[in-house]
Parts: sequence; structure tokens; C-alpha cells
Amino acid sequence: MERFFDQIWVQNTLVVFGFVLVFGLIVLGSRNERWQRAFRYLRRDRLGMVSGVVIALYLLIGALEMIQLPLGPGHSGISVLDWMTDAQFDAGGKVKRGIATEKSYSAPLADRSLSVAKPEPLITPGRHLLGTDALGKDTLVQTLKACRTALIIGGLTSAIYIPIGALLGVLAGYYRRWVDDIIQFVYSTLASIPDILFLVAFLLVLGKGLGKMSFALGITGWVGLCRLIRGEVLRQSERQYVAAARSIGQSHWKIITRHLLPNVMHLILINFVLGFSGLVLVEAILSYLGVGAPLGTASWGAMINGARSELSREPLVWWNITAATTALFFLVLSLNLFGDALRRAFDPRQG
Amino acid sequence: MFSYLIRRLLYTIPIIFGVMIITFILFFAIQKPDTMARVQLGKRATPESVQTWLHNRGYDKPRFINWDALKKHKVTIKEEKDGHTRTVTIEESGGSLFDSIFFHQMWRFATFDFGKSDVTGRPLKEVFKTGAIPSLLITVPAFFAGLATAVAFALVLVFLRHSPIDTAGTILCVMLMSLPSMIYIIFGQALVAIGLKYFPAFGYELNGLSTMKFLLLPVALMVVLGLGSDTRLYRTIFLEEYGQDYVRTAFAKGVPISRVMWVHVLKNGMIALITLTVAHLPVLILGSLLMENFFGIPGLGNTLYLAIQTTDFATVQAFVFIGALLIQAGLIATDFCYALVDPRIRLS
Amino acid sequence: MIRLPPGVLLVASLLALLAACSNDPHPKPFAEKRPDGSPWLVRYSAMPDEPKSLDPQFAYDEMSRRVLEPVMDTPLEYDPMKTNPYELRPGLLEEIPHGVPNAKGGIDYECRIKRGILFHDSPCFPGGKGRELVVGDFLYAWQRMCDPKVECPALSALADCVDGMNDAYEEAKKSGQFDYSKGIPGFEIKDPYSFTLHLTKAYPQILYWLAMHFTSPMAREAVEYFDGQKHAGETKQRPSYKFHPVGTGAFSFAEYVPGQRVRMRRNPNYHTVTFPEGGWPPELEKLNRPLAGKPIPFIDEIEITIFREALPNWLLTRQGYQDGMGVGKDAYNSVVTPIKTLSQSYRDKGMTLDKDVDPSTFYVTLNMQDPVLGPNKKLRQALSAAFDRQSWLDIFYNGVPTVADQLIPPGITGFRPELRNPYGFNLEKAKKLLAEAGYPNGIDPKTGQPLEITLDCVASGAEERQSAEYEQRQFQQLGIRIKVIENNFARMLEKEDQGNFQMASGSGWMADYPDPENFFFLFYSKNIPPIGKNSSRYIDAEFDKLFESMSSMENSPERSQIIDKMNLKLIEDCPMILSFNKAGYVIVQPWAPRTHHNVMLEGGIKFLVIDPVMREQKRREWNRKPLWPIGLVGVCLIGLVMYGVRWNRQRHV
Repeated sequence: MERFFDQIWVQNTLVVFGFVLVFGLIVLGSRNERWQRAFRYLRRDRLGMVSGVVIALYLLIGALEMIQLPLGPGHSGISVLDWMTDAQFDAGGKVKRGIATEKSYSAPLADRSLSVAKPEPLITPGRHLLGTDALGKDTLVQTLKACRTALIIGGLTSAIYIPIGALLGVLAGYYRRWVDDIIQFVYSTLASIPDILFLVAFLLVLGKGLGKMSFALGITGWVGLCRLIRGEVLRQSERQYVAAARSIGQSHWKIITRHLLPNVMHLILINFVLGFSGLVLVEAILSYLGVGAPLGTASWGAMINGARSELSREPLVWWNITAATTALFFLVLSLNLFGDALRRAFDPRQG
Repeated sequence: MFSYLIRRLLYTIPIIFGVMIITFILFFAIQKPDTMARVQLGKRATPESVQTWLHNRGYDKPRFINWDALKKHKVTIKEEKDGHTRTVTIEESGGSLFDSIFFHQMWRFATFDFGKSDVTGRPLKEVFKTGAIPSLLITVPAFFAGLATAVAFALVLVFLRHSPIDTAGTILCVMLMSLPSMIYIIFGQALVAIGLKYFPAFGYELNGLSTMKFLLLPVALMVVLGLGSDTRLYRTIFLEEYGQDYVRTAFAKGVPISRVMWVHVLKNGMIALITLTVAHLPVLILGSLLMENFFGIPGLGNTLYLAIQTTDFATVQAFVFIGALLIQAGLIATDFCYALVDPRIRLS
Repeated sequence: MIRLPPGVLLVASLLALLAACSNDPHPKPFAEKRPDGSPWLVRYSAMPDEPKSLDPQFAYDEMSRRVLEPVMDTPLEYDPMKTNPYELRPGLLEEIPHGVPNAKGGIDYECRIKRGILFHDSPCFPGGKGRELVVGDFLYAWQRMCDPKVECPALSALADCVDGMNDAYEEAKKSGQFDYSKGIPGFEIKDPYSFTLHLTKAYPQILYWLAMHFTSPMAREAVEYFDGQKHAGETKQRPSYKFHPVGTGAFSFAEYVPGQRVRMRRNPNYHTVTFPEGGWPPELEKLNRPLAGKPIPFIDEIEITIFREALPNWLLTRQGYQDGMGVGKDAYNSVVTPIKTLSQSYRDKGMTLDKDVDPSTFYVTLNMQDPVLGPNKKLRQALSAAFDRQSWLDIFYNGVPTVADQLIPPGITGFRPELRNPYGFNLEKAKKLLAEAGYPNGIDPKTGQPLEITLDCVASGAEERQSAEYEQRQFQQLGIRIKVIENNFARMLEKEDQGNFQMASGSGWMADYPDPENFFFLFYSKNIPPIGKNSSRYIDAEFDKLFESMSSMENSPERSQIIDKMNLKLIEDCPMILSFNKAGYVIVQPWAPRTHHNVMLEGGIKFLVIDPVMREQKRREWNRKPLWPIGLVGVCLIGLVMYGVRWNRQRHV
């Protein structure tokens, strides 16, 4: 199962599918009067709109890294971002365009490697806008590539935990009694295990990999959403429209899909956006604990974790941690702000 | 109320049992006990020494259920009598069905006997006792200082609502929430302990007031870590209180705004707040993994990190058990708090 | 509204608090002054991990050895000044024993114990005074090695050659209880001050074992007294002997606080050995001459701080709170410039740099039972030639360690400085070898695709990950594809045991004792995991024969010839890709010069010295606290408060 999620095409397809789904939901939702009102409100929310645009920008960069072109060695496929940035050499071994991989550290825009004793000239001097890392890879390119990692962790995990959480929450809230008891028991048990411990143990079992990480995060992360939805459905079921629907003999399935789900959908959307930001942050901690993104996958968490020893270097290597932190900060900030904007839009009273 | 307590306590038993099964499966799926033995015994381990290690710790038993118990074994015994040797064959059952690692462990935990660490052999009860003090010394002050700071900030924001400070403050809170905790720790340590040299950059010693110098920085960092999300949450709570009728009445009666804020809003907001935070209280004892690790404080978070790194199964299992108990205790405490502060809710 | 007085009070008290609080992380020493009024000397050292146990018959990890070294004396010990090659000198024994053939075809070693040596003062002895060391304490140690409950890791090596150890172990296993009233046939007591070891076969390395803590004498009283229980009439629980060693060493054990520190204090009764009379390298002449032949130790207290993160250790050294520090690979880059001198800011502080080469060799294991790698010698050689060790060392270790051209590291008998690995880095040669191996340009002719090989590594830290990625890039220069699999330590061990890997990165061996046997046994066919450490599963009849004859010989020209032959054979057969000999730099503080550089001693703290006056002065100089930032923060806060107050007033007016 978790191996299935580890294949690149599965990850990419799932994430693209997930975003199409979200988009579809929004389009569908726009027929709902409440959602229309929310959108009108949102359009006037300047902060919300700006953060939305920033998120879209991150999505775009992530998509550049996700889409594979049938080029590269053995037509194994390289991402658009790689294709755009990789150095192309002409017959004489000179660089035609792009950014080459250097031997080791170099400072931003430097033309020599970072070394006090014998600075060597770089292959592509002056083109590393944010310098290079220990293995000579361009920091800016790595930071941009890490967008895909963040999107996969956020997107794939949401694609796993949201259906579980929403479904179980609705079932528990609607059917109550023994269904509720069982679901409550399962999530109280899960919630009783200290979460870091659970995640680390899980990842030690599964091994490394973005898919595996998302799988572990998804399996452990649905409890909060489930609780939220269960509470809301419990509340909605008390309302008259559910009783009315029941009295005219509508099936359970119809009541759930036609009446209950649309009324909790906005909660799921808000939870998705805010949960996404939390997941991006969790990746940094998991990297510190040694169960982060796998080797060869650019990730902000790994960059920050690696910078702990870079910060004690002389001369100081500050560009890796700065680039990664800045990129991570703006994504999480925009997600948080956008989530808030959504909440305000759906419930203007609270703003 | 009493019967509720009993029922609630009984309900925790299956939950704890479930928790133990999950961690047991997880941990034994990571590795076989003999790999654990290999890791501990180092570079000169032999199959015999591995076997001895397992036997000394009871890991040579079956994992879950001793299926051997169902089979009858034929055991041949040589008996010497009056110079003649004769062989006797007896049927022997393979012991109890529950003679397994899991059930032994469950039984030990049920009697609150945590056993010894697989790696160091130290009794875990002692490990918890010594580790809890440094952990509590950090988390408890951080909890209350954090609560006080966040409440004060939130009140100030509500007090100045819709001012530029309020907007800036709210956005600042979101910004504080948007950085990974490692960044705070790395920079806090670098700036205050190394650049300004106010506090030791590392270490801990329990020795009266001078312990403070080790704790101030981690505590301050923990307060900052939680400040963003807490302030925002409390601000919402206080704003809601502020919109209530009684506040308007108070204003109408001419009560000064500072009194309304500090007495009415704070007091009523606190009720909602306490019920929100009381669940976290028991868990404080487990400490903070990141803080303790970066600052070299020998608390339980540090112990846990080490236990994970060295795959010390006995310690991790005991941690999970205690952690689950504490989380349950927190939930029960929350229920009681609700009932205490809100007379409309009756525990039944 | 503005309540300035309490605010000012708060800031003032904060300032006072800051001024009062020192950033010294160490606890108070056991004493301020020696009984004679001279200053009490404390040495602050560090180690990167917890000791797993302080039971000398069980502890085998490096950290435990570091703690035990000053506490537990061994029958023999390494001469602190002799490092190339390493030499033994008597410790608790009067002299180094010599092997004498006995009637049963084995070898006897007669050992005479120095008289008048006292155990540390401890409550386990009558009156709290340490009693005299006798032969029974040695016997007790050897009995403990055979006790299954102790789980002694040295047993497998010693039981092979010492008469009767195996039987004692098996018997105890059967009965479930070791019988300490029975002796061991191989350990014969002559009189209270001498014993004879009976070996069943020639094993000259036994002398090195006599310099390890497994053979340290143990006081039975200590094991029985320190049982970790609370006894009636005592206020405190007794510590467990597993973490409370009692020995005859230069320092007596004081406390171990898990996760924090180990502390020891000087043993006033110590007179087992003295500072060497000579033999030191010329650069130590000035420092060591006045110390020659003097009683040791020179310092009164040791505090070893446990730093699990490298960064804090580095910080405290910079602040002067650590008396020197081994530069871990995390900090190489910060401390050592690429021309292998200390960075300027450290030189300005008066610190100097010492290089220690560990007797160790690291390599990438190639699985000889793998269907692709095993039968194809050329392929293995090609991989070896494709790995650019020097630039790998430059990037990750700032070029400090040396490239390993042979399995035997420098400083150990059999090391040939002139020997070069013919399959060292040479990309052209590697490509040629690969073509000869049947994979031209890395393409597998059977599939038409690049050959894929997996590389297993233990990669939890950031640098380990980068290193694995670098190795991958190096091998891929051949046109083959390398799949890196990240494992945790336990999973890696499991794979090595099962032989379930192709290449395994980061294998290495640190010498237990400075003899080539201790390295060649890594490729002896009877040591295939899980029995031993031959994880590349190298099986070669000729090598085995040479190994067997070499391991029972004393050093001689004939032995050297055999060693050379084995060395070359391993290089040619390439069951591993030799990479480097670990070396470390040590930052030396100006007040704590090192009197020796012997890494086999695990610190050798008892020979070290310290200048407390200079330390105090430098510490003060390096730790001045600026107070203006507090003022700045205060001003900002007050400004904000005033702005808020004004805004509020405007709204309500």
C-alpha cells in the first residue's frame, strides 16, 4: 500500500487529482447559496486574495517540478524545472545555458567556491543566485524543487486523511449508537498515543519515502477532522431539515450526501487549508528526527536540518537555511492567512 | 458523578489495551528482538550471546500467543535406577497459552511494574522519577508563563480592537505560527546564549535558584513557540465575551473600560480557556523533546528521543503506556472542569 | 494607565539577575582547595554519547571505555608515549608476562601482581577504606566473564584459547546460576599475588586483552554491595554496580547523571604507575620533562559532559568552559580551514590544533555472495577505482583523514606506508575495468539498460545523507545506476546478518588492540555474520590458511611476510572498497596542553595537566555580556505601550 504511494507518477497523479477535486468542489459549491455568499465576501478580502495568489504561485512551481518531460538519459523523464535549469554543455565542454552542479559550497552570486585557502573557479560563475550547498547543488533550484515535496506531503496526506476523517465523522454523527461507539473508541485510542512517537515508529517500520511519510501522516492525522465533523453532524442532525427529510422517507445515503455533507463541506475546506500548513511544518521536525524526506529529494526540512552544522562554519553558510526558511515561511503564512480568510468568509460574524 | 467517574475509568482500560497492542505491533514490526540484541551487544556479538541476551530479558518467548501450549510434547527422559538405564516418555504441555512477551508485558504494566531499560538496564521507575523533574521544571513554568503572556496579549489586542496594533498583532501571531520550531530554537540559542552570553548555551543542574539560569532560555523559547496560536485563540474567545450583553450593560452602567476588560471579560473568558487547556496539564510531565535535546536537559523528552534512537523497546513501551494514561487523565479532568464551571452540563 | 514603576522595577531586577547569573554550565567542583591550600584542579572533557554500562566485564562501547579508563586499572596498559607502533607496559602487574609452552601443548603466562595496591575508598569495604588488591579479585573478573548473566562480549574471543572458560559458561547456562566457588582451569592461583593463565593454543594477542577492561580486577564486595536497592536504615537507594564501578584506578568514580555528565575524583591512594621517564616525541619535551617520573594524576577532578549534539560542545569550548574538544565531523568545517590549520578566530584565542589518527579503517562492503558482484572481480575493482576518496574527504572531513590504500591502518604492525591501492581513484581505469567486466559504458548487455546496483547506507544525520548522495554520484560516473537505500542502524545490521545487500556504505573497524589480526579477522571465512563481522562474506581458502598461521605467531620477519601477502590479496580481490582511516582533530585550549597523543588510551586523563589561573582569566575575557540589547527591547516595549494608550484615548474621547 505505502509502496504504491511511493511511485512518482502515483504521487503526481493523486496530487493533481486532489487539486482538480478541490477545484471541482469549489465550482460545485458555487451553486450553493452559502458558498456564493462566502466567495463574494472573499473577493473583497484583500489579505485573503493576496495569500491565495501566493499559494497559486507555489502550486505553479510545484507543478513545474511535477510534470515530467520525456527527455533525459534513457528517456526516463526529467521535470520541467530540471529541464529549464540544468546546465547544457556544448561540444567543447563549455556551458551554453543553465546552472551547473559545482563541487561544494559557494556563496550567492560568487564566481569562486567557498574556501579560504584555495578558492576554485566555478563552472557557472555568477549564476547561483542563492549560492550552492555542500554537494554543489544550486540552492535556489533546490528550494524551488522542494515546493513539490511540500505539495506532495500536504496534498497526498490530505487525500488520505480527509476522506477517512470526513466519512467516519459523518457516520459517527449520523448513525450514533454502536457505530459512534466504535469510531470513538478507535480515535480515542489513536489520540492516546503521543503523536511524535507514533509517527516516528510508523516511519521506522515503513522506511523512508514521501509516499510513506504521507501515508503515516494520513493514518495518524484524521482524528481531529473526524471529531470536528462528528460534532457538526450531531448538531445538524438536530435541525428540522434532517427530521423533515427523514419523515418524507429519504434514504440515509441521500440525507447524508444531499443534506449533511454540503453543510459540513466548508469545514472540510478550511480544515484542508489549515491542515496543509501544519503538515509542511511537521516535515521539518521529522527531518530532524531522521525520518524525513528520502535521499535525493529536495525538502525544506532537510535543508534546515542540514544547516545546523553549516551555521557554525567559518565563513558562515547562511544561504541554505535562509532560502529554505523563507520559502517555507511564506507558504505556511499564506496558507494560514487564506484559511483565516475562508473562515471569515463562511462565518462573517466571527471576523 | 461518582458512577460517571467509574465508567470513565473503566472506559480507559480498553483504550490503553488498544494503545499497547498498536505500539507492540509497530515496534516488533520494526525489528525482531534478536536484531535489538545485536545492536546492544556491539561488534563482537555471537549467536550464543544474542540468545543469552534475549533469555535474560524474556524476549525469547513467543510474541503474542504461545501456540505451543495447545500441542502436547513428547519428552524423553533418561532415568537411572539400580544401575539400569531406562527411558521414560511423558507428555508435557508447552506451558500456558499466555506465556508470551506481550502478555507478560501487559501483566507487568497492569501492576505498574515497568521493568528495566533494554539498553542500560536501569529500572524505568527510577528513569521516570529522575527525568520528570527537569521536564516539569521546563514545561510547567512554560505552560503558565505562556498562558499568562498569551492572555495578556490577547486582552491588549481586544482592548485595542480594530486599531493598527490589533491588525499588526494578529498578523504577527500568524507569522509566529508559520515558522518551524527548530528555527526558533536554533536562533534563540545562537542569539541569547552565544551572542549575548546571558545564559549557558547548554546543560542543566538541579541546585536551588541557580537552576534558573539553565531554564530561562528554554522556557522563554517555549513561550514564544506557543504564543502565536494561543494569542489568536484567546483573542477570539475574549472577543466573543466582549460582544455579550453583560459587557454592554456594564458599559451602560458606566463601569470603566479597564475594569470591564480585566474583571468581566477576563473572568468569563477564563472559564472557556481553562476547559481548553486543562487537558494539556498531565501531559506536561512528558517534557519537550526538541527543547531538552537542544539544551541538554536530561528530562523525559530527552529520554524518549534516546530510546527511539537506540530502539530501546522496554522504555518506549513504558512511555507510551504512561503517556496514554496521562492523556486519558487530561480528558477526564476536562470533563470535570466543564461540569464545574458550567452547571448546565451534568456528568451522566 | 501607565504603570511605569513596576515596569522599571521589572527591568531593573532582570538586569540584576542577568548580571548575577553566570553562563558557566558546570556544577560546583567537589572542593574549592586541596587540603594543603593549593588550587583544586578540575578538567572538563566531553563525550558524544551515553556510556551503555560501567560494568568492566560487560561494557564494550567507546563511551563506556572512556569512563572506565581512569577508574579501572588493567593488568597491562599502553605506554602513553609509544604510538608508532603501540607498546604495552605493566599496569597492575609487576612486569609483562612471557608465554612459556606447557606440557599439554598450550602456552602459560605467569603474572605477578604489584603489592600494596588499594581499591578506592568505598562504603562497600569495611570502614569505608579500600582494601588491598589480591589475586582473588582477578579471578572474580575472569569468572564474571564466564557468567551468562554478565553477557561479556570478550568471552567468545577468550574462551577460544583459555582453558575451561567455555565449559564454565555452558555449565552455568545449564544450571541457571554461575558457581563462583569453583575456579577456572585456565586461571591458576599460585599465591595471593600471582596467577598463571593456561592457554590451550598459541594466542600472543592475549597480552592486549590484559590491557582491556574485561580483565580489570573486580572487588566482589562492590558487586554485592551496590545492588540498586534501598536497604533498611539507609536514607538513599544504593546505586547499581553496573553504573558504579569500584576499581584501583587513578580516579574514583563519583557520579553518573544520565544524559548529563560523569564525574570522578582523584584517588589519593594511587601509586600504581608514574608519569613515563622518557620516550616522548621531541615537541613534547618542554612540557613533559618536568613531569618525568612524577606521581600521577596531576588533577583532582574530572567532569565529562555528555553532548549528544555537536554544536553545544563547540559553543562551550569557544566560551572556554571545555578544556579542549575532539572535533567531530560536524564541526570540522567550522574549526579547521581547508589548509588544515585552525580558523583565525580560534588562533586569536590561543587555541591550537592536534591531529589524532585513529587505528581504524573504513570501507564500502561489497557482498561476495551477490550474484552480480560476487563472481565478477573486475566489476568490484571498477567500482573501487571509480570512487574519488580524496575529494570525498575534502568535502565531508575537510581533508583531515587519510585515504586508506590497505586494510591495516597506520600505527599498526603490518602497515606499509609505500603501498598504493592499484584500484584507487582513476576514472579512466575504472571505465576500462567495467568494460572488461562485461558492462561497457555501464550497460548490461542482457537488458540493454544501465546496470543497477543498490547501495545500503545508514543515513539519519544530514551529513550522512549528503555523503551517501555523493557516493551515489561517484559510482554513477561509470554509467551504471545506483539505488540508495536508507536504513536505520538496526535494519542495516539485520541486512548484514542475512547478506541481503549489494553494497553497504560506511562499514569500518576501530582496532580493539593494535595487531593486524584484529583487522584481518574481518575477512576470515569463519567470521561470517551472525557469528562474526565478515559481512562481505569473503571466503578464500588461501587467505584463511595465512590468517590461521599469522594469528598464532609473535611478531617476526616471517609474520610480516605473511601480513604483506594477506594485505595484497585483499586489495586484489576487492571484497570492499577501501576508503579512509579515520582521523580527528583536537582543539587544545592554551591552559590545557596535551602531554601525550595515544588514542588507544581513550583519553589517558591521568597523565594530563591544567593551568587554572589562565583558564579563569580567559573565561572572564571571553564571556563579557553586552547589556544594551535589554535596554533596546525595553525602549521598544515602552514605546509600544505609549502608542497603544494614546490610540485608545483618542478612540474613547
